[in-house]
Parts: sequence; structure tokens; C-alpha cells
Amino acid sequence: MTYWLINAVFLGIVAVVAIASLASRRSPRWRAVGLAAIPLLLMTAVFDNIMIGVGLVAYDPTLISGVFIGIAPIEDFTYAVAAVVLLPALWTLLPPSRTSSPRTSSSSSSSRRAHSPHDSPRKGVESGQVDGKRDGGAAW
Amino acid sequence: MSFGYLAALAISITGMVVLDARFHLFFWRDARRAAIVLVAGVLFFLAWDVVGITQGVFFRGETPFMTGVLVGPELPLEEVFFLTLLCYLTMNFYGAFTRRAWLARRAEAEA
Repeated sequence: MTYWLINAVFLGIVAVVAIASLASRRSPRWRAVGLAAIPLLLMTAVFDNIMIGVGLVAYDPTLISGVFIGIAPIEDFTYAVAAVVLLPALWTLLPPSRTSSPRTSSSSSSSRRAHSPHDSPRKGVESGQVDGKRDGGAAW
Repeated sequence: MSFGYLAALAISITGMVVLDARFHLFFWRDARRAAIVLVAGVLFFLAWDVVGITQGVFFRGETPFMTGVLVGPELPLEEVFFLTLLCYLTMNFYGAFTRRAWLARRAEAEA
């Protein structure tokens, strides 16, 4: 089995997930996928050459196409292409969590605190925080 | 035996986590979904590697930079970290290029 044949099989799996995301109208933002592909492919070109150059990985010359970017077989770039389609498609296919994840600034908890009776003596400070919340949100 | 490559990968993954935390790109956007996507991605690429290795397409090179610890035939421990980095990097880029829309949606939800 050549490298390209193996890649075709795994790209088939990627295509199935991408089509599933299209069919369920939960496809990723393709523009973002395309933009992400540019630095990913450039970084693959740089780091794959380094990794092969220092001898982290080697290839059977009879099973690769013989097309190289530097010393990196062109087939290696299939990993980056697969990642940039498969992972965002999986991400958008999965339903979002109701409570979204770790947050550094807890704007919602500070507004909840504003209603706590303990904080009433610091009323002026609290209203300042509520204003600050809007600014904090925009800064992200 | 050397930890050079493993250390480089660990430092790079740490960088991904720092950027994620600062800009809310992946785990800091939706930790549960990120965990599923990352694990699924790493397993998918490991399977790809295993097929490539069993078919003899690629194999571990002769290098002084790896620990020599193998998680499978010709499959170095470092590859698991490399694939984690590849998946995290991919989703951080996707997160960065969707960030404006995500911020707008979140501002709407909080309004």
C-alpha cells in the first residue's frame, strides 16, 4: 500500500465527517478553515523538513510519490489538510455546551454579586463594575 | 536517550494553552467540545500513523533527540505529543479566525 493510497482512505473519513456537517447544516465556517490552512501548511513545510532533517522520521522511497517540498514528502501535507477540515467539522457538529468552560474574568458573577445584600455598602463600586463589564467584554 | 524533542513539544503545547486561555480559542471557548475534538483527532491520526507504519511507509528515524520510549511498534511516545500539538494548533487557528463572530454572538447572549 502506497502512502497516497493510505491517505486516500483517511481523507475519505474526513470527507464523510465534512459531508455530515454540511447535511446537518452544522458545517464549520469554511472561510476560517481556508485561512487556518495557510499558516498550518506553511508550518508543516518548515517543521516537517526540520523533523526529517534531524532524523525523527524516515520513509520507504518505494512507497512515496517522490514529490517533495524540500525533503518532506508531499504526502505529509495531507495530515494538515485533514486536520483543518476534520477538526472544525467535528467541532461544529457537536452541540455546544450550555455552560461554556473556564473563564478568566467572571463578568456574570460580578453582576450577580451586585444583587447580594453584603455588597450594598459598596453601591458606587458595584455600578462601576457593571460599566466595566461592557468594556471587559469588548476587550476580548 | 534524550528529552530534547519531547521537551520542545511540551513547550509548544504549553504555548497553545497560554494562547487559548488568553484569547478563548478552543478549551476556553467550550471545554467539553474541545476535549472530544482533541481526543478524537489524536486517535484518528494515531490510527493513520499505525497504518502507515504497518504498511512500511514510514518509520522511526535514527536520532539522538528522542526518549526511545515506544507506545507501539515504531511509534514513539513523542508522536502522541506531536499529534496533540497538531490538533491544538489547528483548532487555535480556527478559533482565531472565528473569534470575531464568536465574540459578537457571546455579546448578544449576554445582553
